[in-house]
Formats: sequence, structure tokens, C-alpha cells
Amino acid sequence: MLIETAILVGFLFGAGTWLVLQGSFVRILFGFLVLSNAANLLVLSVSGDPSGKSAPLAFLGAPYVDPLPQALILTAIVIGFGTTAYLVFLLYRFFVDFRTTTFDGAREKEEKP
Amino acid sequence: MNLIIAILLLPFFTAAFSALMPKVGTARRGLVALSAWLQLAVALALVELTRGGERLVLPLGGWPGRFGIVLAVDLFSAIMVTLAAVCSVAILHYGFFETPRREEHPLRLPLLQFLVVGTQLAFITGDLFNLFVAFEILLIASYGLMTLESSGAEIRHAFPYFAINLIGGLLFFCAAGLTYGLLGTLNFAGIAERAGAMTGDARFSGLAVLLLCVFGMKAGLFPLYFWLPKSYPIVPTPVAAFFSGMLTKVGVYAVLRLLTTVLPHEMGWLHTALAWVAGATMLFGVAGAIAQNTIRGILSYHILSQIGYIVLAIGLFTPFSIAAAIFYLAHHIIVKTSLFLIGGVANRLEATDELDAMGGLWKQAPFLGVLFLFQAFSLAGIPPLSGFWGKLLILIATVQTREYLLLAIALLAGLLTLFSMLKIWNGAFWKERPAPLPPPPSGNRPNLPRMIAVIAGLTLISLSIGLGAEWFYQLARQAAETALDQPGYVRDIARALPPPPLP
Repeated sequence: MLIETAILVGFLFGAGTWLVLQGSFVRILFGFLVLSNAANLLVLSVSGDPSGKSAPLAFLGAPYVDPLPQALILTAIVIGFGTTAYLVFLLYRFFVDFRTTTFDGAREKEEKP
Repeated sequence: MNLIIAILLLPFFTAAFSALMPKVGTARRGLVALSAWLQLAVALALVELTRGGERLVLPLGGWPGRFGIVLAVDLFSAIMVTLAAVCSVAILHYGFFETPRREEHPLRLPLLQFLVVGTQLAFITGDLFNLFVAFEILLIASYGLMTLESSGAEIRHAFPYFAINLIGGLLFFCAAGLTYGLLGTLNFAGIAERAGAMTGDARFSGLAVLLLCVFGMKAGLFPLYFWLPKSYPIVPTPVAAFFSGMLTKVGVYAVLRLLTTVLPHEMGWLHTALAWVAGATMLFGVAGAIAQNTIRGILSYHILSQIGYIVLAIGLFTPFSIAAAIFYLAHHIIVKTSLFLIGGVANRLEATDELDAMGGLWKQAPFLGVLFLFQAFSLAGIPPLSGFWGKLLILIATVQTREYLLLAIALLAGLLTLFSMLKIWNGAFWKERPAPLPPPPSGNRPNLPRMIAVIAGLTLISLSIGLGAEWFYQLARQAAETALDQPGYVRDIARALPPPPLP
């Protein structure tokens, strides 16, 4: 289970980095989404191998999965949601100002308005 | 100790209420100003309570063990909280006098207060994940402030800021998760307790480097500093002054707190690496400043070289050099904020920020020139101003640790600082203006004498730091001593936590 998670985290980080390095704002936005999911998965895997363990509810009896990384992820998801919403609006503003979503296009517009 | 929470709740509720108030105007400004002064009073009370080396601890929610959120204030935190409160009061009043009541953007004051919430939380938190949350609060508020009042072309310059901070936030989150995986706790005291056995473990060393990279990114350390001089000049003056005074210093605070209180002190290789990174930051920052031709551009690059000085002192890692770093931090925050405000007034008077097009300010506003000279010489380190004592302490620390090459770099950076300050002086104040002033724009004029009075207040504070250097140094020494006392920190936190429940 952990090996598969590790491979998936590595793949997501790679894909996210590749997307963030593109010149188009839309791809960068998606890159951040992928990267934040990679980070969430990484932190989730910190609670260890879940096989044979139950969800951390009262009265179920041990062993539980460590709930703290899940709490951390919940916080990060909320923050990531807010940041993504902000980025979407920024993308819209960028599009309204420059009539394009790529940085090269915006630079051209700036040089000869 | 419940007073601690006031420093968070005051700006938080002010931000919420002022955002909900329907009209921008006197009532709203009064509310925010009152709250800012109250925050300053609370901050001063915290300094008074921690001056003898005490730690105030507040376990939120009363959770037993090491899983709840803990707020902990020692003298170093209290000093930083006070500096943030002073900065916030100053820039609020400057903003009030600069922008007429009706023209103020309705979201500027609430966002500034949220920025203060994040900053103060970063200074008083006692666990790593909460530090992450504090960083995110202040970053989101700063994203808002950066795009609120800028035009489309300017927003493009803010993209490096967003990019670096989004990546930084992600890395910080990963680092926090990995810390929990490795050590089983996120509490500073818990990490300090368990990390002692981990020194030399490659996983732990990697984690420490990752955390320092994240904080270094926020602080603007070499080589990840390119975002700062691009993004700071585009925000309105009072906001830029707060950014330049406080935001990078939150990163520096985190570096200092991490190295002194949280990580084991035996990681000499990490300290040496940090000192050399600081040396590079100093040189590149000051070299960038020389190449700039606008007041704000020069000042933005100077933030970097000054950060270099502070981090150099942290990297030398003796009790004396840590005290020097704290002293320099206090001096730098006040001086930098006031220099940005002076740049704002100069920009108003001359209707431009380009040094080539400016001139003759000395005749227009002689008092502003006097204030600029005080603060610029202080930044460059001319005795007896506050910057001289800060630099002297750091230079003594480099001699004590026999880092003569770093000493040479620091002296060179100081000389070049003086050079670029004189460039502003010559360009904006001394030389004749090349073209006559355009007629002032019609409509509401800013209240320049009062704006200058705010700057004079800040200058007075930095003068008193310079003239009362002994008293402030003793305070910094006590703060460094408390921050370095890891066993004491662990003990004080453990004493404040409720006992674990019986099984």
C-alpha cells in the first residue's frame, strides 16, 4: 500500500511541476491543483499502512488509523480551496486585461498596446 | 495566560466588523485605529510580563498531551509582536492622512487587519502546523492587498510573488506532515524534546534543510529573492511599508525560532551554510540596489541585504550573535517602514518615483529631508544611530567566531548601502529638478504635514533605539537567552498543559 502511494505521490509531484512550468496560466492553475493533491496524499501516507485498522471513531475498539494527518489535510484542503478560488479570479482578471491566458501573449500586448 | 489571545482576537474581530460596516468613513477608521492602539497596549503588556525571561503559555481548548494548539510568548515573541503593532499603528495613520476618507478602498483596512492576525499568530504560536496556518492567513491577506488597488500591467509583476509563496506553502505543508511522521508531534516543545536523539539522522537533517528552505523563501534569502523587489513596489505606500517592515521578518523570525528553540543546537553545518547564504544575500541585495533607479526599487533591494545581516548573525549562532540579530531586527523593522513612508511622501510631492526625473525636495520639504538623512544613515550604520549599534554587534560576532571573509562581505555591503542611500539623497533631495513640477491634481489633497508627522514618530523610535542602545541591547540579550533555553521551554510548556486523562 505504501509503495503504491509513494509512486503515486512521485508521479503527481512530477506532473504538477511540469504543468506549473508551462507558459499558460490555465495550466499553471491546474498544476497547483495537482501539486496540492500530491502534498495531501504525502501527508496522508504519514499515518502509516491503514490495512487492518479502522477509522478513528469512538467505541469501535483499537487499532485506529492515526487521525492527526487527516486533520492536517482537512486544514490544507480548506486553505487550498480559498487559494484556488483566488487564482481563478486572478486568471479572469488577467484575461479581461490582456485578452489572453498565456504570459507570452500578455508580454506582446504590453509591448505594443 | 489569557492576555495572549487578545493579540489575535483584537485584529480578527476588527477585520470582521470593519468588513461588515456598510460605509467607508470616519466611524470605520476610528474603530480600526482604536483597535490598533489597543493591540499596541496589549503587546507592550506582553513585553513587560516576559521581561524577566518568563514564558506565557496558553493551551487552547485545554487539550491534554501534545496534540492541542499551544500559544507561547517569550520575550523574543513579545518584541516581535510589539514591532508589528507599532508598524500597524504607523501605517494605518499614514494611510488615513494620505487617502481621503471617501476614496479608500473598502477592503484595504479589513485585509490589513487580517494581515496583522497572520503576523501575530506566527509570532506567538507554539507548534509547527499552526505556524503554517499563520503563514497562509498572512499570505492570503497579502495576495488580496497586492491586487486590490493595482492595474493590470502591475498585477503581472505580482505573479512571481504568488508563485513562490504557493510553492513555499506546499513545501511547508509537506515538511509539517513529514515532521509529524518522523517525530510524532508538531509541538515545538515536543520536537525539541525528541529531536535531540535524532541529530545525525539523514532524514532529520533533510527535514531541517527543507524547513529552512521554506522560511528562507519567505525571508527572501539568496537564491530565492527575485520575487521581492518586483512585487513590493506595486502596492500602495502604507501597505508596501508594512510588507517591507514585517512580512520578510516573519520568515526571519521563523528561522531564528526554529534554530534556537526547536532544533538541537549541535547542527553546526546547518548554521555555517546559513551564514554563507546570508553573505550571498547581502552582496546580491546591495548590488541589486545600486542598479535600481527608483526610490522604492532601491529600498526593496535593501530589504534583502539587511535580511542578510540578520541571518548572518543567526548563522554565527553564539548567544551574543543571536542577541545581535534580535537587536538588528528591531532596528531594521522601524527604519525600513519609515523609509518606505518617506519614499511615498517624496512620490506624492514629485509626482514620480524615478530618481532621474526628481529633484529639489530639499527646498520643498526640508523636514522630510532631515528625517530621511536620519533613517538612511541609520540604515547605512553611521554612529550613534540604531543601525550602527546593530551592525557593530554583528561585526563583533563575526570577529569572535573568526569568520573574517564574512566580516569583509558585511563591511562591503555596509559601504555600498551608504552609496545607494546617497544616490537617493542626490537624486531626490539635493539636485535641481530637471523639469518644472506639473500642477497638482485637482480634488482632495493628501494631508502632507501629518503624513510627515507619522514618519517623525517612527524616526523618534529608531533614534531612541540608537541613543538608548544599552537598554535595548540588554532586552535583546535577555530575549536571546530565553529563546536559546530549550530545556526551559520544554519544561514551561509541559507545566502549562493539563495532565493527560486517566485511562
